[in-house]
Amino acid sequence: MSIRKFLQDILNNNPFKGFYQVNRLRPPGAVDEKRFMELCIRCARCIEVCPYDSIKRADLFEKLQIGTPYIFAKERACYLCMKCPSVCPTGALDHNLVEPEKVKIGMAHIEQNRCLNYLYVKEEEGIINTGKAQICSTCYNVCPFQDKAIVMEKFILPVITEKCVGCGICVEKCPTEPKSINIIPTGMGNKDTAGFYYQRSKMIHKKSEEITTDYYKGDKLLQKKQNIQAEEKPKYQNNFKVQEKIEGW
Amino acid sequence: MIRRYRRISQLIVFISIFIIPLLNVFEITFVKGTFYSLDIGDIAIADPLSIFQAMISSKSFLMVMLVSTIVPIMLMILLGRVWCSWMCPYYLLTEFIESIAKKFRIKLKKPTYSKTRNTKTNATRFITLLIGITLTGIAGIPLLNLISAPGLMSSQALVLVKFHYITFEAAFIIFLLFMEFFYYKFWCRYFCPQGTFLSLFRNKKGLRVEKVVENCSNCYSCIRTCPMCINPMEDGLNYLCHNCGNCIDVCPDNKKTDTLKFRF
Repeated sequence: MSIRKFLQDILNNNPFKGFYQVNRLRPPGAVDEKRFMELCIRCARCIEVCPYDSIKRADLFEKLQIGTPYIFAKERACYLCMKCPSVCPTGALDHNLVEPEKVKIGMAHIEQNRCLNYLYVKEEEGIINTGKAQICSTCYNVCPFQDKAIVMEKFILPVITEKCVGCGICVEKCPTEPKSINIIPTGMGNKDTAGFYYQRSKMIHKKSEEITTDYYKGDKLLQKKQNIQAEEKPKYQNNFKVQEKIEGW
Repeated sequence: MIRRYRRISQLIVFISIFIIPLLNVFEITFVKGTFYSLDIGDIAIADPLSIFQAMISSKSFLMVMLVSTIVPIMLMILLGRVWCSWMCPYYLLTEFIESIAKKFRIKLKKPTYSKTRNTKTNATRFITLLIGITLTGIAGIPLLNLISAPGLMSSQALVLVKFHYITFEAAFIIFLLFMEFFYYKFWCRYFCPQGTFLSLFRNKKGLRVEKVVENCSNCYSCIRTCPMCINPMEDGLNYLCHNCGNCIDVCPDNKKTDTLKFRF
């Protein structure tokens, strides 16, 4: 069984592509990560033209993606000057992309238990008591699409909307350590959703005793359904745990 | 005489691998890129092998890619494999190694000419290329770009100029250069996939070395000087010939009458 697992790990995961990491982004206009790795010939033109030195050349530390361009949002974010997409010789970066609004290199995610503004509100409401409460709002102030990509709920709580392009300026400027705002690169979240049927097939092929079989039928099921109460709405917003790395998918 | 022009051309290219990133640091983006792909003004130039690999690994065919291979392939068809001998920065360094070895009286083991060796050399080159392209297809990324000597050198120069450090890939180049002391031009002759791919576009009507007269003094100085270890009198159209012109420079008969010359 362990040999099978080993072979699965070795052969099913292409060691050359499909690595994601929080706060590590591709340049604007990048196509889907897998296709990007196929198309990128490591010519480093995007690195060369970047006037802010935001785009770095991936080193040995980035595993087998040597030579490909990366933006490390913690060190230097992308300032959306849109110089790089047009210089790519193979179309790994989309040539037609000129508007910074249409960039989609990732999505910011606020850690509510670390963000100073959220802590401040909690302190005000008396939930916690540290005596060090302060208002920061840096992410809101530095965002290039203020009031579009990031809005202030109740005038104090920063909330990311769908228009976030993932440039990472908020990450670069966030004063907390570790950062209370992170960029999740586009495509990284897909592992759970895309692998649904894969996971399901694994569930089915598991040994039967491992699966808990709680079946409700007929009256029992009806009773169960009636008992479901819809008073409390589930909290969707930012209600997931950020994975640090996804590899080999 | 040809050697001097060639040296000037090589030096210009070698210096330009540092100048281009420097210009880009000052935001003069007229010329941009590395020797994987280069833009001069609006002309896009790209290493045909890189583009070919990108096509294989991505299983797609983009016009943007294809257009950039026009210039190198035209150059290859018209002038032969001049990229290797007249421009490639790695080739310049191997010649530099050669001259160092001469100065310190280290004897480089240069293989003697034989016809079977040529066939073997060519076979090694093309098999290497084939294996490389197959592996590229399996891995799904342009693998051969990771061992492209000129590309690595220019991208290392870019990193050095822009970020002031060099990455471990410089070690690969240094290793190759070190090995040159023991195996004479082994990378260029046996393995370099970029050069091999370029030589596929060798054209019979392009520039080539040719013995113009029927009989020469048969001193074989051209064979001894040839860096690719071929016979310039016969093998002007060999895949290995890269039109460096060393044989023409060294030929003693050329002083009296035209014997060994570049011909279209």
